[in-house]
Parts: sequence; structure tokens; C-alpha cells
Amino acid sequence: MKPMKLDEVRIIFLVAGLTLTLIAASPALSLISLPRSEESFSELWLLGPEHKAENYPFNVSNMTQHRIYVGVGNQLGYAAYYNVSVKFRNQTQQLPNSTTSEPSPLPTLYEFCFVLLDGNMWEAPLIFAIEGNSSLIQNISINGMVFPVNCTSTWDSARNGFYYQMFFELWLYNVTSSRFQYHNRFVGIWLNVTG
Amino acid sequence: MSSNLKLLPILVVLLLPSIPVFISRVSASSENAANLAITQAEETMASAYEAVLEARRARANVSDLLDWLNVAGEHLAEAHMLYRLGDFDGAVYFAGLSSEIGEEVRNSAGELKIKAYESWIADLWSRVIGSFVGVIVVVSGIFVTWQVFKRRYFRQK
Repeated sequence: MKPMKLDEVRIIFLVAGLTLTLIAASPALSLISLPRSEESFSELWLLGPEHKAENYPFNVSNMTQHRIYVGVGNQLGYAAYYNVSVKFRNQTQQLPNSTTSEPSPLPTLYEFCFVLLDGNMWEAPLIFAIEGNSSLIQNISINGMVFPVNCTSTWDSARNGFYYQMFFELWLYNVTSSRFQYHNRFVGIWLNVTG
Repeated sequence: MSSNLKLLPILVVLLLPSIPVFISRVSASSENAANLAITQAEETMASAYEAVLEARRARANVSDLLDWLNVAGEHLAEAHMLYRLGDFDGAVYFAGLSSEIGEEVRNSAGELKIKAYESWIADLWSRVIGSFVGVIVVVSGIFVTWQVFKRRYFRQK
């Protein structure tokens, strides 16, 4: 076997020295936090009564209770302060505008306020019942509170029903402006009111 | 006495129109009180959230505080909803509860932040000193080993 040249051994020493130096300095180096490269976003979802993405209430009648779950996931990289606003509309009333990031002008009925750590999720049950008939919903009760809505609907011949929508807007507290801002996310369920 | 009794219906008739005014004033004042209580609760909740955020940045464990903050958030939401439904007394009650809890959370978050910051500073020093000593030991060790190796290498030649 051919003996190693001094220059080759020097390189080995240098590499070993650098590696060991990095290992020795690792406690201090671990203090340097690299900026987050992942995309930051929030999730908003609805689940049916069995806590699954199926069997959502659709055909609803006067005073019948239905249960759904609303959930939020925080992937923003910091603890976020959220507000979920529950709104109710007929087919002609405005939904939030995703292009302009404008919330729906309809009034908030029920709401949730909570703070969520990064990487965590929040979920809450929502039990609702409508009061009225297919063409006029007078009240909607959500988690035991009764909200007057007086919302009317006409027969939709294309889809054979009287349609209403309950939808959920996600709002996020902005520390800089010290106020809640619409977070440009909403989900909803269509309700065909029978009887 | 009987003349006083005769005056009573007249007095009632005279005062009757002022009752709605009185009721509306009471209602307006309770609406104002509810509005004020809600604004205060919103501000307290926001400042408590910001305090928790700072404590979290200082690497404090804020999970217990978050549980409390979310109770304050539930009360605040309840106050908003009752206000919209015209139950101003209920709104004042829940806004007050939210404010109380929010203040507690804000104060605790401040204390937690200071403690976490102090322990972070101590940890920082131990890491920096530990790394510094480690690097000096490694560099000196490598240097000495290299010198010994070099001497033996030339001796063999």
C-alpha cells in the first residue's frame, strides 16, 4: 500500500477539524432560527353530524334540530386570534367576494372567538333549527340562541326546492391595525326547506 | 286626604306620556353601557392576545393561558350575540366576565414572558460559553495532533 502524502493528510485533518468544530459549536448554532419557508395559511371546514365530511343536513323542516361541526386549522406560523361568523342567506343575497376579499354584508348571527397556536386545530359543534316554512324563515336557533332572520325564498325550478344557505366566514385579528379582518375564507351548506 | 286622592288620576294622566321617554332613556343608557362594556372587553381580549403572543415569542409555555383566553373569547362572543339580540344586561354581564379573565391572562402573560426571557438568557449564555470552550478544545486538539503527526511523519522519512 502506497503511503499517504502530507498534503493529503492535511486535508483529512482540515475536514475532521471543521466537522468537529461544527459539532462543538452546534449548541450556539442551534439558536439561529432560519426563516419559515413553507406557505402560511388557515383552513376552515365543516363536518357532518358523525364528524365526517358526509351526511350534511340538506332537507330541513320547521323546528327540526341538526348538528354540524365547524373547524379551523392554523398554519400561519404564529398563534392566531380568529373569529368565525355564522350568516344566513337566500339564493339572491350576497356571499363573500373572494376576488376583492370582501365579507358578505349580511349580519352575523352566531360567532366564535378563539386563539389558536400554530399547527393546531379548533373544532366546535353547531346545533341549529329553523323556524318558519319553505318560503319564509322567521328565526334560526343556533346552539340554543334564537336569531330573527326573516329570510324569504322562492321556488327554484331548476333544483326543485326552496333554498337557503348557512355559511361561515373566517376573520383574523391583525395586530398592526388592531382589528379583525376578513381572512377570505368561507364555507357553507345549502338547505332545502321543506314543509 | 280626599282632595289628594282626587288629584292622583290627574297626576297619572299627566305623567303617562313621559313613561315611554323614561323607558327609552333607560334602554338607551343600558345599550350604551353594553356598548362600552363590549368595547372594553374587545380591547382587553386583544391586549391579552398580544401579551400571550409576546410570551410565546419569548419561548414561554402558554397553553394554560390560551385555555383561559379562549374562555374569555367565548364570553366576548356571547356578549356580541346578546347585544345584537337586544339583551343589553346579558351583554354587559358577559363582556365583564371576558374583561376580567382577559386582564388576568394579560398580567400572567407578562410575568411568564419575563421568566421565559430570563431563562432564555441563561440558556443562551450556557450555550455560547459551552460552544466557545468546545471550539477552543477542538481546534487546540487538532492543532496539537497535527504537530505531533507532522513530527513523526518527517522522522519516519
